[in-house]
Amino acid sequence: MTINPDGGPGRSVRVVIVDDHTIFRSGLKADLDARMDVVGEAGTVEQAIAVIAETRPEVVLLDVHLPGGLGGGGREVIAGSSALLGTTSFLALSVSDAAEDVVSVIRAGARGYVTKTISGKEISDAVIRVADGDAVFSPRLAGFVLDAFGTAPADIADDELDKLSARELEVMRLIARGYSYKEVAKELFISIKTVETHVSAVLRKLQLSSRHELTKWAAERRLL
Amino acid sequence: MTTAVERPPLVRSSDRMIAGVCSGLADHLGWPVKFVRLGMVLACFAGGAGVAFYAWLWTMVPTADESAKRNARRPASPIAPAVSLPPLPAGGATAARPQQTYDAGPAPAAFSGPAVAGAAGGGSVAAGTTGPAAAVAEDVPNPPGSWWDGNPLGSWFSFRKIQYGKEILLGAALLLVAAILIARQFGVDVPLGTLIPAAAILGGAAIAWMQLDETRRAGLVDKTKADQAGGWVRLAAGLALVVAGVLVMVSGSGSWEQTWLALLASVAVLGGVALVLLPWGLKFWKDLETERAGRVRETERAEIAAHLHDSVLQTLALIQRRAGSEQDVVRLARAQERELRAWLFSDPAKETGLLAERIKSIAAEVEDSHGNAVEVVTVGDTEMTERHEALVQAAREAMLNAARHGGGTVSVYLESTEGNTEIFIKDRGPGFVLDAVPDDRLGVKESIIGRMKRHGGTAVINSSSDGTEVRLALPSAPSDAGEQRKGETLVSEARSSEARASETRSSETRASETRNGEMKQ
Repeated sequence: MTINPDGGPGRSVRVVIVDDHTIFRSGLKADLDARMDVVGEAGTVEQAIAVIAETRPEVVLLDVHLPGGLGGGGREVIAGSSALLGTTSFLALSVSDAAEDVVSVIRAGARGYVTKTISGKEISDAVIRVADGDAVFSPRLAGFVLDAFGTAPADIADDELDKLSARELEVMRLIARGYSYKEVAKELFISIKTVETHVSAVLRKLQLSSRHELTKWAAERRLL
Repeated sequence: MTTAVERPPLVRSSDRMIAGVCSGLADHLGWPVKFVRLGMVLACFAGGAGVAFYAWLWTMVPTADESAKRNARRPASPIAPAVSLPPLPAGGATAARPQQTYDAGPAPAAFSGPAVAGAAGGGSVAAGTTGPAAAVAEDVPNPPGSWWDGNPLGSWFSFRKIQYGKEILLGAALLLVAAILIARQFGVDVPLGTLIPAAAILGGAAIAWMQLDETRRAGLVDKTKADQAGGWVRLAAGLALVVAGVLVMVSGSGSWEQTWLALLASVAVLGGVALVLLPWGLKFWKDLETERAGRVRETERAEIAAHLHDSVLQTLALIQRRAGSEQDVVRLARAQERELRAWLFSDPAKETGLLAERIKSIAAEVEDSHGNAVEVVTVGDTEMTERHEALVQAAREAMLNAARHGGGTVSVYLESTEGNTEIFIKDRGPGFVLDAVPDDRLGVKESIIGRMKRHGGTAVINSSSDGTEVRLALPSAPSDAGEQRKGETLVSEARSSEARASETRSSETRASETRNGEMKQ
């Protein structure tokens, strides 16, 4: 499914906002542009799981830190909605830049991660991108990926999940440098679709890699 | 024992065969350990005197740890006495104590002194078996006031004003026992049937009361598990002694059968009493725990409150006053966010003086002065060197330019690998043409490009209408290889010394930095 990027007559994206701060929820709702339709809100883990199951949105904007449940926050919401992962995508939102939080929520199944200081336009673009099945990487997340996987490209002999290819590394580097997908595409003379493919591949590696270092690395780098 | 010189305190040493008694004693007396041990073994054959002496020392002499702990505990917390015995008449002991100001009762004050007496006292008791004079000769700088001070038993015996009252009491008891034994040897009829139970009762009561002292002191100052365990043992021993003594006395050394029956009955009664008192005891214990936990929480809360007051509240007040200026508000909010983040997440043990840390602080500085958000992403890290300082300065200039001319968010990306350090500074401003910059404007040409070139790096400026990106690269010169955090090989070390020799400009500082780098590894 592709959404009309100009917010034309195409179907709008159904979004659920999960955040425990009412002020932030209403602010975010106002920030999202006309291409989005907020169909539900939730403030706790339990509410979130219930609302998501009921409304079956395409995208859930999910705060990493949430009260309720077993204390797992956003991770727990994704785990609780795992039956819907095929149709519902999660975009993690957080004030926390801690690698541990970011990596754990991505590994739980989120399609992307953005910080809460992001502008309204950017978050709308990110939601559309996630709804289209692509991954959303903030510069910081790209930095984490580079730090965790190392900046050396994969040898052919390596387990492909544990290393990034040379092209993926290039894309990650540019994103870490603050390039938008469009700018990355221009810089590398490839199409935006190709950039998105690379980013999705990296996301897959980040989620599936069994590298024990990844978790260890994230735990060590509590701070950023 | 002939000189009155300063001796190490008598403590059980950690260098032990059984309980560290002999080596501790040897330390204290200044004799070789071997002789002390040999003497102890020989004494064991003298009617078991050695065994008794050893056991005595074992129980009475604290280990070095305990002794240190007790001494450290002496300056009791001013919030100590929640439980107290009925206040005793202060007497002469009080006058000698300076720290009377806190708390009303003299009872807790009685413990400010005796911690040392308790520790060293154990030792003097041991020495006391050879003669009470030795105990008194012990040179402990101690305010007058004995262990029995806070203890009703002490007041019964009016021993309060006598130094080392406990030791003297014990010594006297031992002498009495010896006298009785000797008297029996000479055929004097001693009513042992009465004396032994009476002694047992007295002893048991004394032990139990000591226990009260101990728990009160330990419970209120710091409650350690070891103290608890010791306390329970003491309580049980005291109880057992008293009960046995009373029984024997009452039953008049009747048949064992009777005694067992009585014992059973008394245990049942005790059990009943315990059953009734237990809820109170538990409640009291819980209250104490709750109060302690509450105090810890309170301290933590106070610290957080103090921090928030100094930072967040001040900033919020400033924001309200500057509400008219959006830029000021944003700047204040950014600065506060950074500060709070650092406070929440930073690890004080983390190494400072690394490149990433420097870049972040520079970014913070730029953010503060221009109000643009500067997002820093770092991958890898390296030690700061003189050349990296040049890189940082060039990056700073680029960030300032980006904030000044670009507007909006500035993205900074630092990637540090073994061979290379790169910094990218990107803004989304209108861009500029490098050649169009007048020659007298030194910012870009001198501070960024020229500086990087001088230090063996490169600076590329890529500007278009979509924004400007400054790319700074600083290859790790061989001389820096030793300072790279990840890369260290003998080869690079060897190469680094070669390079150092060839480098004359700043060889001295470089060399010292390299040494530092080597030391860190």
